[in-house]
Amino acid sequence: MKVLAPLRTVLFVAVRQLWERKLLNGIAVGGVTLGVLVLIAMNGIMLGFQEKFTSTILRISPHVTLFDTELRPKPPPLERLFGPRSVAEVAHQSPSKRQTEIKRPYEIVRALRSMEGVEAVAPSVAGTVLLDFGGKTKSVDLRGIDVASQDHVTSIEKYMKSGRLRDLDVSGDAIVLGSGIADDLGLRTGDTVRAASPAGKPLDLKVVGIFEAEVPPVDKTRGYTTLRVAQTLLGRPDSITRIEVRLKDPDDAIRVNDRFERSLGYDGESWQEANANFLSIFAMQTMVVRFVIGAILLVGGFGILAIQVMIVLQKQRDIAILRSVGLRRLDILNIFFVQGVVIALLGGALGDALGRLAIYWLGQLPVKTEGLVKSDTFLVHDEPSIYFWGIVFALVVGVVASFIPALRGSRVEPVEVLRGQIG
Amino acid sequence: MDRSVEPLIRTKNLGRTLANASVEHVILQGVTLSIERGEFVALTGASGSGKSTLLYLLGALDRQSEGEVWIDGVEMDSLDDDERAAFRNERLGFVFQFHFLLPEFTALENIVLPMLRRGTQRDEAEERGHDALEMLGLGDLHGRKPGQLSGGQQQRVSIARAVANDPVIILADEPTGNLDSANAEGVFEVFASLAHDQKRTVVMVTHDSSFATRADRQIRLKDGRVI
Repeated sequence: MKVLAPLRTVLFVAVRQLWERKLLNGIAVGGVTLGVLVLIAMNGIMLGFQEKFTSTILRISPHVTLFDTELRPKPPPLERLFGPRSVAEVAHQSPSKRQTEIKRPYEIVRALRSMEGVEAVAPSVAGTVLLDFGGKTKSVDLRGIDVASQDHVTSIEKYMKSGRLRDLDVSGDAIVLGSGIADDLGLRTGDTVRAASPAGKPLDLKVVGIFEAEVPPVDKTRGYTTLRVAQTLLGRPDSITRIEVRLKDPDDAIRVNDRFERSLGYDGESWQEANANFLSIFAMQTMVVRFVIGAILLVGGFGILAIQVMIVLQKQRDIAILRSVGLRRLDILNIFFVQGVVIALLGGALGDALGRLAIYWLGQLPVKTEGLVKSDTFLVHDEPSIYFWGIVFALVVGVVASFIPALRGSRVEPVEVLRGQIG
Repeated sequence: MDRSVEPLIRTKNLGRTLANASVEHVILQGVTLSIERGEFVALTGASGSGKSTLLYLLGALDRQSEGEVWIDGVEMDSLDDDERAAFRNERLGFVFQFHFLLPEFTALENIVLPMLRRGTQRDEAEERGHDALEMLGLGDLHGRKPGQLSGGQQQRVSIARAVANDPVIILADEPTGNLDSANAEGVFEVFASLAHDQKRTVVMVTHDSSFATRADRQIRLKDGRVI
């Protein structure tokens, strides 16, 4: 096979020379390995936390929430009478007493249910109440829900520590509380707690269950009761202030939310918007981590570069021999190039293997987290595609880093080396 | 042109100038010579006389500044870099003073490498390599690396490399220059036998006049000119 002759010769020389300089080339491989290892481990840790946060957020938050704020409110009366350009000002205008609510909510719920991409819809009323138990008080973000439909939108029953969510419907004046609230007030299932808000009528509620969603901000503030109880407590009979929606594809939420807002005229919010502050921190974090990974891979690349440049300088004599017996410039270039690529691939493969181990080990590491999300171990995410990218980045580094030395090697003039030797 | 009449090597008004930063250094000038097929020629001259440079020009390793070099019917200046590499690979065999062998490869592998580049099958190349080593009395040393061979043995291996490819011309640059007298004699004998017994064309640079006189012909250089 004459066409393969250059390739065979190049591989023969490249692999042998690599093997005969195990220490130096091993160091170069080590540099790449370290880069890929860090790439995989850091990416795993970063994604681990982000994925955990996102999945936790998604199980306890609706994908899209419609609020009772109208997007196109009616203009004030004077403006309605005289037009928008009229100069009219009422000094000390008292705030409107009109409470906002979603009008004809059940029609909207029905309409939403029939929309494409929607999995479940639940109407609710939300407000803040004070709980009083044994002399301790605590403010609670109370949600009056339709128990059956709410559990399809954000499952709560799954996270019950004690009691059952559906007992809300059975027990009349009842409430389900987050574990953080129960701990603070010293409440247990079966206790009765007094609840009140400024506008409504105080009620004694029986605690029929305690949930723990493992999202501390929710577990410490939220309580669930029936729509009727919440409406009475908050003094808002028959009103619905939010409609929560679960989608088939949560990543679709921003687009779907836009559609809802346009067709229904109420302010809506996707889960991404609701958690924009965290998601933007994640975006920043991702950028910083990528920067660090890039820097470490770059260092690995410089390792290859430094060692290869040194080898090329030491190998002038050998290059002169190879050229004099008939290897071409391109062959010499390829010899060093192949060496760079082999170093990179070995480093990449080794980095992948160690990275996999690191991910496994980190995942076993007992670290208690209790901030945004709750976990007993280090949060890591083992993303299969990262191993592919590890190899790809290693290869890019190897190709780029070995190019300069390879080019340098190919430019060695055999006569100059021979002349120097013979003097 | 009838190749049986045309000499194997022919130069015409050959010159080589090395340009340093400021000065131009004339190394060779006006060299016109011809070497016939099967001739054993010794290039002699003092150090700096330009004999090595002439050898590199005859070996398609260097480019002339002026004049012509015809080897086996091809003018060297008409070839580009890759074509010259291929020409060296296919028609020339080199032996250098410091027995240039690749240290990572065994004696046999050093011999096989140029043939592999040429497209010879590995089996065939190894067979020819073994034959060449056998001929030079190194048959059982084929698996050794250069570091495990004596200077004389290394030089024989590099001769074997030059010969195994069955070149048209063998070019040797002070092949005995770095050897003790016994080894030098042995190596010279090899070249003499290649020329006389196998009718190969050998061009050897040497400053050892006792060897030079034993060649078919001496070409003496002084200050870049043939005298």
